[in-house]
Amino acid sequence: MSEEVKSSGIQRSARRSKRKKRKSQIMKGVLVFLIIVVIGVLLGRISAKLGFFWVTGNAFGFILQKSRFCFTAAMRDPYLTGGTNLTKAVLLAFAMTSLAFFAIKYGAHLKGMPIPGQGFIAPISLATAVGAFMFGIGMVISGGCASGTLMRVGEGFSMQILSLVFFVIGSLLGAYNLGWWKVNFIARGKAIFLPDLFGWIGAIIMQLLIIVLLWIAADKWAQRKEIKTE
Amino acid sequence: MKEVELDCMGEACPIPLVKAQKKLETMDGGDILLVLIDHSCAMKNLPEWARKAGHNVEIEELDDGEWEVVIEKVV
Repeated sequence: MSEEVKSSGIQRSARRSKRKKRKSQIMKGVLVFLIIVVIGVLLGRISAKLGFFWVTGNAFGFILQKSRFCFTAAMRDPYLTGGTNLTKAVLLAFAMTSLAFFAIKYGAHLKGMPIPGQGFIAPISLATAVGAFMFGIGMVISGGCASGTLMRVGEGFSMQILSLVFFVIGSLLGAYNLGWWKVNFIARGKAIFLPDLFGWIGAIIMQLLIIVLLWIAADKWAQRKEIKTE
Repeated sequence: MKEVELDCMGEACPIPLVKAQKKLETMDGGDILLVLIDHSCAMKNLPEWARKAGHNVEIEELDDGEWEVVIEKVV
């Protein structure tokens, strides 16, 4: 948590909300952690992949919740609050994953092995733009993207259980209609793998350069907003 | 100097932020706005915006996952 809970320095009337006494949750936390480990071990016995997914899923959720990392806010807050801290955090995450993916793919390429994950290179088409637009509207209204919604359901935020239900319904509709989009739009687009265009080193430099430019733009945007509000 | 309470319990981000922004516009300098929230995301962007706008901000955690954001309007 980045916000510290401090005692009040602002002068307020006596009608202030009382803070409830809170019980220590350390024992519960330890217990839950042990249960997670036990389930992980059991899943790992069934298949190593399941165990791996369980560990990464739990770690991802924990980090998302504790860091209040929110992809929705990263896209929305530059407009709404003028703050771009989360935007910059997402850009940093993109830069790091770019380097990791580059290492994995280039490593496989050097060894002459099949490059992993090439099946996920999908053509860019009108479907991308339409989908991004719809997803953008949906995530701002429902207060979270996929990971954010899941994380807040876990936190116990009841309204987003509703988001989750409709997120599932929407995904099903999307999957049902995917065939139509594939035939009419996606198949007509061209799949682009940057290293094919710029070479391996050129691709990673291009990608990081664009991220750096976006970072600078985000930084400038936050400063511009600050001057305006003063 | 008056004190206004804004109950945003159960409302997802960014609604508490937008409501607080609108409410603050109608208030005078030195007035205090208390925003009750239980959405962890609003706990981050509401104080961030208010501080950026130059107001005094404090946060109190009332209960697990329930916060009161105290904003003193500075003109």
